[in-house]
Amino acid sequence: MARAVGIDLGTTNSVIAAYEGGESTVIPNAEGARTTPSVVAFTENGERLVGQLARRQAILNPKGTIYSVKRFIGRKFEEVEEEASQVTYDVVPDEHGNARIKIRDKLYAPEEISAMILRKLADDAGRNLGEKVTEAVITVPAYFNDAQRTATKDAGKIAGLEVLRIINEPTAAALAYGMDKKNHETVLVFDLGGGTFDVSILDVGDGVVEVRSTAGDTHLGGDDFDRRIVDYLAEDFQRENGIDLRKDAQALQRLFEASEKAKVELSSVTQTQVNLPFITADANGPKHLTATLMRSTFEQITADLVERTNGPVKQAMADAKVSADDIDEVILVGGSTRIPAVQNLVRRLTGGAEPNMTVNPDEVVAVGAGIQAGVLKGDVGDVLLLDVTPLSLGVETQGGVMTRVVDRNTTIPVRRSETFSTATDNQPAVDVVVLQGERERAADNRVLGRFQLTNIRPAPRGEPQIEVTYDVDANGILNVTARDKDTGAEQGITISETSNLDQSEVDRMVQEAERNRSTDQALRQEIDARNELDALAYQVQRRLEELGDSAPPHERARAEMLVADAHQAVSEQAPIDRVRELTGELQGVLGGLRAVSPGTSGADGDGAVGGGQGAGARTGADSGADSGADDADVIDAEFDRG
Amino acid sequence: MQTSERPGPEAEAAARDAHAADRPAPCAEDAGPGDGSATAELEDRWRRSLADLDNLRKRYGREVSRERAAERDRVAEAFLPVLDNIDLALRHAESDPAAIVEGVRAIRDQALAVLARLGYPRQEEAGVPFDPARHEVVALVPGGDAEDAPAPGWVVDVVRPGYGDPDRQLRPASVTVARDRDS
Repeated sequence: MARAVGIDLGTTNSVIAAYEGGESTVIPNAEGARTTPSVVAFTENGERLVGQLARRQAILNPKGTIYSVKRFIGRKFEEVEEEASQVTYDVVPDEHGNARIKIRDKLYAPEEISAMILRKLADDAGRNLGEKVTEAVITVPAYFNDAQRTATKDAGKIAGLEVLRIINEPTAAALAYGMDKKNHETVLVFDLGGGTFDVSILDVGDGVVEVRSTAGDTHLGGDDFDRRIVDYLAEDFQRENGIDLRKDAQALQRLFEASEKAKVELSSVTQTQVNLPFITADANGPKHLTATLMRSTFEQITADLVERTNGPVKQAMADAKVSADDIDEVILVGGSTRIPAVQNLVRRLTGGAEPNMTVNPDEVVAVGAGIQAGVLKGDVGDVLLLDVTPLSLGVETQGGVMTRVVDRNTTIPVRRSETFSTATDNQPAVDVVVLQGERERAADNRVLGRFQLTNIRPAPRGEPQIEVTYDVDANGILNVTARDKDTGAEQGITISETSNLDQSEVDRMVQEAERNRSTDQALRQEIDARNELDALAYQVQRRLEELGDSAPPHERARAEMLVADAHQAVSEQAPIDRVRELTGELQGVLGGLRAVSPGTSGADGDGAVGGGQGAGARTGADSGADSGADDADVIDAEFDRG
Repeated sequence: MQTSERPGPEAEAAARDAHAADRPAPCAEDAGPGDGSATAELEDRWRRSLADLDNLRKRYGREVSRERAAERDRVAEAFLPVLDNIDLALRHAESDPAAIVEGVRAIRDQALAVLARLGYPRQEEAGVPFDPARHEVVALVPGGDAEDAPAPGWVVDVVRPGYGDPDRQLRPASVTVARDRDS
């Protein structure tokens, strides 16, 4: 089945997103990039290039490389004469006065050029998704008139796409943040992209988004900020070395790249190094450019650019008749809104409102368009609100710890099972204590309920298999069942209030667990080590019983002493080093005892690899004990003192 | 807190049905007359599938982050020996320049080997037709008058090499291209 997508057809860059599995995600192009330059090239030999490839040969082919075609779509030539004079390719009027792109004596409508960009986006996305893309929602600036919107729709048609809808860019941004679902609110969308600046005031709520006003600057963007750094560094270098790096194409390119990188870094640190060794050479040899650029300097040299956003924002607010206090939400769009000075200005102009930036500002319009595409295709339903378990659910196990069965933030409904066993020989019943919380100690968590599974057949510890299943249904009701795999006997309990905690309570418990994390972990390690020692002591004891007289006397004596020490260490809750020491020694002893064949006289030497007589034979009881310690799925249950 | 202890397997089935009937409105809305439990069961299964999908997605997200970090570690580590050698070169900064240059050259070759091992061979061929898949034009220059001078539209000089084959490209080679003879 064909897929519907949302496309942000930008002046400088375009992005495509698809609605999949309840989420709108950006699809990378064939080159692996999440944004595609909005550039199309017609080469000498009739080849057509779109995107990054077109950009790379721009210098070679200035008249045949078409960029920023969005400035001409749906326009009459007389409306865009000024723009036409600023681009390297030819823009001319056709017989009806419409703006056309002239490439090698052929006239192309701007929508034909845009169609090529759309075609590449759709084809690449189709390949990525594994299904054809035939329908799209395409975004346009809020100030686009009818002719511009129709032309954009035509571009989609020419590209072979059914255009489900043309929506406004600020509206798409609001959708990306789910603002249409809110109650009545006033939203300011601040869009500072690669080459253009747009600000819009929206009314959102009850599933509707309405554009109240728009304003902007059609020639203000991230590229201008890069240029300022280039000029600053070049002028500095010229003062010191008498060479203008901007006259050297190679040096200029390196300078631009370094400037863009510096600009990006200064959004997160307050100063950065620009390092361009061997940038040029003169009669005295190679010259290097090394400079430190402080954020404060960057802000100084770009202050007027940031100031230029002031006017349009005030204009838009005036046109919508809102003041800074009326603005409930601010959305930032476009990579340049990552610049701290820009964010500060936005905060100032909107009365200190904290702007929404969690969705990647380069992608937010496409993401919103993707959501709209999903809605129009009926893929988004409001039935699909899935809950999660706010806190972990588990069982109390040997040593008084909580063993998790369902992790917190697991989407429900969910069913998880764990297999447990007994802690002592011939234990007749297990106590299932149902816990909720994030701490390691059972006592530090909340007890939701408890029940017993009885009539367990007499067996060595660790042998019985008790399957405990936690089933949380869509309403948050927890059903816990314990089933004896041997007898088939089953018991259970239903707990209906696992998720009635309010958010602050959940947060408190999570934070408390976080605060105590290292002590809890240390404690857990201690208890696990003790349990391991206990199990090991038990195995040694069983082995001694099996061997009877075959056990060499001095080995038996040593083993019995160590087993006694182990029991003491466990009951006294000895420190972990002592526990580990004893564990090591008991392991050695067990190894030795295992090497002894039952039925031989105790006089044989220690540790000799068993000769002929059935040394390899493992009794059922032995493997049962092993499975208690080795089988990762089987956990010792609470020792039932009842 | 309300709990109810369920007696055993036989009674369990009855208890489960009782629970189904107790479930709140949503299912009742969808169910037609008389097929309540079948619809409810389907709805339950559907919700469980969605929840499984969601949990899988969350797990995948975590794994992807882990893998990404691990890969970054591996790649960064591959370059450490290069840096070590650059440090060594600087320690000999006062020595005979020719010797230092030789050392630097060796370090450069070492770095190239690292990149090649990671899957990005160096691309620096001049005197070939310009190809946007491999090259990026930095400037147009005269091709020159020599017999074997590059034709218009051909690469004259590689200003900065590229790395990686076109299908796995780290960056294209930055080149100067011969302009038309009459321009």
